[in-house]
Amino acid sequence: MTLKRIAFVQELLKFMGLEGRLHLEWISSAEAQKYVDVVTKFTEKIRNMGPNPLRAINEMKKAG
Amino acid sequence: MDMVKAAKELLLQDRVDIFLGYHKLDGHQIPHGFTKARVADLDQLEISLNRYPLEKIACDLAQKDPTLKIGILARDCSQRALNLLYTWDQLNPENIETLTVNCCPSSLSTHGDCSYLKPKTTGEYKKAHGIDYNDSPKDFMAEHDSQDRLSRWMYEFQKCIKCYGCRNVCPVCFCKECSLEHPNLVEPGVLPAEVPIFHLIRATHMAGRCIDCGLCEDACPAHIPLRMLYREVNDAVSDIFGYVPGDHIEKSPFSIIGKTVELTPAPMDV
Ligand code: SF4
Ligand code: SF4
Ligand code: SF4
Repeated sequence: MTLKRIAFVQELLKFMGLEGRLHLEWISSAEAQKYVDVVTKFTEKIRNMGPNPLRAINEMKKAG
Repeated sequence: MDMVKAAKELLLQDRVDIFLGYHKLDGHQIPHGFTKARVADLDQLEISLNRYPLEKIACDLAQKDPTLKIGILARDCSQRALNLLYTWDQLNPENIETLTVNCCPSSLSTHGDCSYLKPKTTGEYKKAHGIDYNDSPKDFMAEHDSQDRLSRWMYEFQKCIKCYGCRNVCPVCFCKECSLEHPNLVEPGVLPAEVPIFHLIRATHMAGRCIDCGLCEDACPAHIPLRMLYREVNDAVSDIFGYVPGDHIEKSPFSIIGKTVELTPAPMDV
């Protein structure tokens, strides 16, 4: 179910042009190295994508 | 059969305690509950293009008196809404009688009683910066790149005046406590609403629920193409879960914990 739900949210975000910022991965408590790898890779990916464009939109609006 | 006669029969034979339809008040067709005590009022029953979520009124009535037998003037979309409300235990099918109007024209009958059949027009500015009401989610995906999609949806969402009309009119928004009024999710008393959280909350809630009646889009004073958004939601739900809300009396996949899944998690492309 989690898989399907996440697939749904990913699809919805993609529809709105916000893809790539949500990732799902199964990591058991015995897989420390996998955990490190996935988190590092994802952090790098997000950093490369730059800040969330929504933040700028909402801040601009607040400033009027 | 003559609708007025049929509705009168329902009341006079005590098959229903109240019949929900429309009458004219000050020139407007608005929902009305007809009763046996004033059965002659049914001569004023109005069947027109206008529609309201009569199923929602039925839910309110059933909450006050769960034994009440309710008749409803129904369209195709009402039927889907009723199926959905039955599966979510909001209404008891044994207490509901419907009289169906001809809303969807076919080759046999070209006349249809539904506001939805009036084609929507999208202005030039909206076409250039926002979203065409009549676009299909698939075409929209194909025609615009990611950045363009984001800017178009943000253009639309930023017009929202947080009137809650989309939720209030929706036949399948029946929650006692609505997330859209949860102060931690949607800051109360602040306009414009933070984008796109308000609309994303509603969009995710419509997964497995929206029966595509289009009332929300008709009601939205900011002309946000809500129906088109929930159509995408419905497409995704049908692709991923194989479920079409309101099609049958079948529980939503979102209310059950599944056993086996054939999907694999999407890879993280860098
Ligand atoms: S189309 Fe809009 S009003 Fe109708 S069920 Fe879907 S969300 Fe609700
Ligand atoms: S928006 Fe969500 S929480 Fe609010 S009434 Fe609709 S389904 Fe319920
Ligand atoms: S009806 Fe339109 S303007 Fe009103 S809350 Fe819903 S999306 Fe916003």
